[in-house]
Amino acid sequence: MKKILAAALVLSMVTAPMVSVHAEEAEALEPITLTVFRGDPGDQPAEDNKIYKKIEEEFGVTFEFEFLAGDLDETLGVKIAGEDYPDLFDGGNSADLLIQNGALINLLDYVSPEKTPRLWAHIEPQKARLIEKDEDGNDVLYIIPNYGLADGEQIVNQVNGPAFFIQKQVLEWGGYPQIHTLNEYFDLLDRFIEANPTDENGTPYTGFDILCEDWRHFCLINPVQHLMGRPNDGEVLVDVSTNDFKTETFIDKPYAKPYYKKLNEQFHKGLISKDTFVMNYDQYIAQLSSGTVLGMFDQTWDFNNATFALQDANMYKNTYVALGLVYDPEYVDGKEIEEHYVNGSLPNVRRGFGISVNCECPERIVNMWEEMMSDEWQMLFNWGVEGEDYYIEDGRLMMSEEQYANTLDNTWKLSNKAEAFTQSSPKKQGYIMDGDLAGNCWEPANQPEIVFGQMNEYDKAFLEAYGYQKFADFVNPPIELAPYGEAWQIDYSPVDVEHQDFLDIQDKYLPELIMCEPDEFDAKWDEFVEEITPSATVFGEFMQEQVLAEAAKVLNNE
Amino acid sequence: MSNIRKRSDASAGGTRKRGFFATLGKQWQLVLMSLPMLIYVLIFNYSPMWGWVTAFQDYKPKLGISGSKFVGLDNFKWLFGRADFINSIRNTLAMSVINLVFSTVAAIVLAVLLNEVLNIAFKRTVQTVTYLPHFLSMVIVVGMAQNIFASNGPLNELLMSSGLLKQPIFFLGEPKLFWWLVGFINVWKEVGWGTIIYISAMTAIDPCLYEAASIDGAGRFAKIRYVTLPGIKSTFVILLIMNIGHLMEAGFELQYLLQSSLTMDVAQTIDIFVLKYGISKQQYGVATAAGMFKSVVAIILLFAANTIAKKLDENTLI
Amino acid sequence: MAKKTDDYVSNKIHQDKVFPIVNTIILILIMIITLYPVLNTVAYSFNEGTDALRGGIGIWPRKFSLESYRSILSDKAVFTAAWISASKTVIITFLNLFWTSMLAYALSRPEYVLRKFITVLMVLTMYVNAGLIPNYLLISKTLRLSNSYWVYIIPTMFSCFNMIVIRTYIAGLPNALVESARIDGAGDIRVFWQIIFPLCKPVLATVALFVAVGSWNSWFDTYLYNGGKKELYSLQYLLKMKLATTQASANAAKTTADALASTTQTTPITIRCAITVIATVPILVVYPFLQQYFVTGMALGSVKE
Repeated sequence: MKKILAAALVLSMVTAPMVSVHAEEAEALEPITLTVFRGDPGDQPAEDNKIYKKIEEEFGVTFEFEFLAGDLDETLGVKIAGEDYPDLFDGGNSADLLIQNGALINLLDYVSPEKTPRLWAHIEPQKARLIEKDEDGNDVLYIIPNYGLADGEQIVNQVNGPAFFIQKQVLEWGGYPQIHTLNEYFDLLDRFIEANPTDENGTPYTGFDILCEDWRHFCLINPVQHLMGRPNDGEVLVDVSTNDFKTETFIDKPYAKPYYKKLNEQFHKGLISKDTFVMNYDQYIAQLSSGTVLGMFDQTWDFNNATFALQDANMYKNTYVALGLVYDPEYVDGKEIEEHYVNGSLPNVRRGFGISVNCECPERIVNMWEEMMSDEWQMLFNWGVEGEDYYIEDGRLMMSEEQYANTLDNTWKLSNKAEAFTQSSPKKQGYIMDGDLAGNCWEPANQPEIVFGQMNEYDKAFLEAYGYQKFADFVNPPIELAPYGEAWQIDYSPVDVEHQDFLDIQDKYLPELIMCEPDEFDAKWDEFVEEITPSATVFGEFMQEQVLAEAAKVLNNE
Repeated sequence: MSNIRKRSDASAGGTRKRGFFATLGKQWQLVLMSLPMLIYVLIFNYSPMWGWVTAFQDYKPKLGISGSKFVGLDNFKWLFGRADFINSIRNTLAMSVINLVFSTVAAIVLAVLLNEVLNIAFKRTVQTVTYLPHFLSMVIVVGMAQNIFASNGPLNELLMSSGLLKQPIFFLGEPKLFWWLVGFINVWKEVGWGTIIYISAMTAIDPCLYEAASIDGAGRFAKIRYVTLPGIKSTFVILLIMNIGHLMEAGFELQYLLQSSLTMDVAQTIDIFVLKYGISKQQYGVATAAGMFKSVVAIILLFAANTIAKKLDENTLI
Repeated sequence: MAKKTDDYVSNKIHQDKVFPIVNTIILILIMIITLYPVLNTVAYSFNEGTDALRGGIGIWPRKFSLESYRSILSDKAVFTAAWISASKTVIITFLNLFWTSMLAYALSRPEYVLRKFITVLMVLTMYVNAGLIPNYLLISKTLRLSNSYWVYIIPTMFSCFNMIVIRTYIAGLPNALVESARIDGAGDIRVFWQIIFPLCKPVLATVALFVAVGSWNSWFDTYLYNGGKKELYSLQYLLKMKLATTQASANAAKTTADALASTTQTTPITIRCAITVIATVPILVVYPFLQQYFVTGMALGSVKE
């Protein structure tokens, strides 16, 4: 019986239609199915999704999505070897691989001011960064960025990237002081923990956490560049004062030493626990969520969940403020360093959909994107259906609490948003520039009414005590984006091996430096510098070349 | 071939030289039973072996095997020129030996203890419960272990409150303890699963043997020693030979999750090394070279173990 | 001499009285140690997500919630995927047992002239691996099994490890069984099918368990070959994807507004535990049926005559 059942099943499986149908280009409205690969994980949209239904009605296009399930590079390597390219191909952080292997077509064959005015207007302001030269010197554009091409003034409501964080209660306890330097920060933490060794439940406070797990070791290795007054360039420090853009790895330089020496001091004072070096991410989040960690260096998105947990438990005073710390003059030959944690917005270069060489209807896709850059489609993608998902009041776009909560509910989104497609497609961001809705934000999550409308009383009072409007006021406004962009975006695969060594040596030595006896610190630091110099030099020199090359693209265009 | 022929001729009882094909003909039913899977492994396991050529290439997926540059032994030279690769061989062997000893002993002990249980319901319950952790993902198990072994975790608290310790032991950050921790977690997760094969082997033991031993006045321990253990010996030996061949595989997930910057020197296995420098850096040639090296060592170990077993007159794998 | 016998007897009584008690205690302790992580996982899966982030949950949920299960099971695709997984598991288990045990029998016959050659060839498959890309090209390009149900079945029909396990078991059976059947004029196929196969139930149950669990838990084949065919997703693949999505969305840049509007949250921790439970329960249900064969054992003695 079982066997018959099994056999019947096999038959039913193989007879089901499985071949994706590619339409000829000629018939524009002939229904087609586009195969799509997304370089990050995601859920398949629901069958009854209202947005995809509209896309199908309007453009005759349905999608067959594949999401990343395993290792990205492994997946792309396999697809390249088999030349199994989907029509729309988002290579995630490794899109460079697709370009190097000739998997993507040059979009400039279809995108131009005449043919696609909206798309062109969208990329035009950043075209120096986006349009590259191929080996033969032709202009090429493989990917229209999925994020970072925003209209209007840059929106900074909060610090989303790196910062030194401190619990609000510590600032409250200290009488709402201005904290701008490394010493001020640790002095306040020291004093607070001396006065309040434990929380209300008797759990001892941890002064400062350093997450080092796997790729999240940026919490350990990245701070020095910010203390030196630069926004995030990854693992190098760039001197933007001249057009030479002198680029160097910072971790092996004398100016990095004071930070780790300071951490060593704090370790021996008991502000840092050795457990922080063996902590996994879940334990870190658990510790932050318990409200007993007073400070850390991190990036805001990295501990969102802990923030949710604290707010959920009404522990607002234990949530964090992002501070932009710099070195005290004593550490840098008496120089006053100006703080810049927030950078000017930059396009997400080479991130998003490209169209593969296997695609039979590239023009149709580009034309669809062009159409989708209209305000109507963008409103539909971002805000949804009026009356259903949002409402308009006095020319302002609004959402009820329930409507906004929906946009965060994964199950709801699978039926009512087209994120699997829109996240990697070109889109409008920033402010709506024309029409009745001008002045509103394209993205609900940036709309001031939504951001500030529901702020809790503790935070309101806290901001008021400082006389600030928003939490981003704790740091300086964005610095102008340097011509080379942000150095962490640079593809360093040619020096991959050296870069890995460079990271490994830091991972190994920095915790030891923080934990060693103070009188051994100097000798150990010298050992570290000696060990890391070879790989640091190779990586640093490579980055110098690349930074200059990137900068030249923009500067030569001006 | 000639070797096989001699042996089989001998075992077939003196068939003469010309007799190989004659014997084969007589054994057509056995041939029929083994042919399908022989063809199967030739297709699925051996036909893709052209991939090993890439160990001598700077392989690029786009160029394929014919287009990629031939680099001779460069990939091997690069591997063996790296101190951390040599280090990862040491770590791999150390951890797999510890794992092999721990998990084999634990599985046999548990299987024997279970075999002594007369109450079937209890036996089945214990057996079911102990194999369950096999289905937990490594992330979950390692996460739990990290909580239990933390400096302020339950284990240290227990040891301190019972007065056995004054200072908590830094289990997770102490390189000396890392391999043993890996061994422990492996046993914890897999011991019940590992017993299944021994328990099933014990079912083949003739109950008469136990009765006979009882009549001879053997106690429980004597019965275990003279009946149960000999009864599973062939399974034990075969598994041991197979696992000795697997000594170059210490896995990567457990170590990868459990390691920290303080223990990275002792945690990196060959597989982690390959992951780090091979696949994720598109150095496919290096990854293949490392895999080939592992296979060659595995085969040497396997045949060595098999030969020793033969010398000792034990069951052999081959 | 007499003294020694006394010692021996008392020792024996000692063993028979005390041993079962000690044994029971040891086994209960082992059960507790191995049960803890399982109960802990179940407790997390039934806990409210945001609260679970705080950690420190033992074997009972702190804030009970079905949210994780709701968010997974509300997707109807889970049931399709479960059907795919169950069906492929059943098919592979039968095919695998059939092919593997047949080969195991052939290779257990000492007189078989190809025995050693084939055994070496089979055993080596456990230790050599061509690598990801050659395997992918074989299955996807040469055999064209991508985007089909067959890719779950055809490449996993045989496992050498299981073959060796069965062969070892068959080798342990009394040779007289085969010999006497031979005298009655039975060929190898008949000997295998009518005599050996039925006697192998315990080991076949064991191997069936290995194969079934391996197939049920596999996701890599879906990921490599059927990633673009959502109607062919296996359960483990789908669940893994749900976990990855939750993790990714937890890390996605969020704004203050998101934090304020979030009420009940699913989090990677609780989702991971819930998918573990969902994927394991079916195995637990099927397990006792196989277990009875290898825990209880069989009356081999009677067959032996």
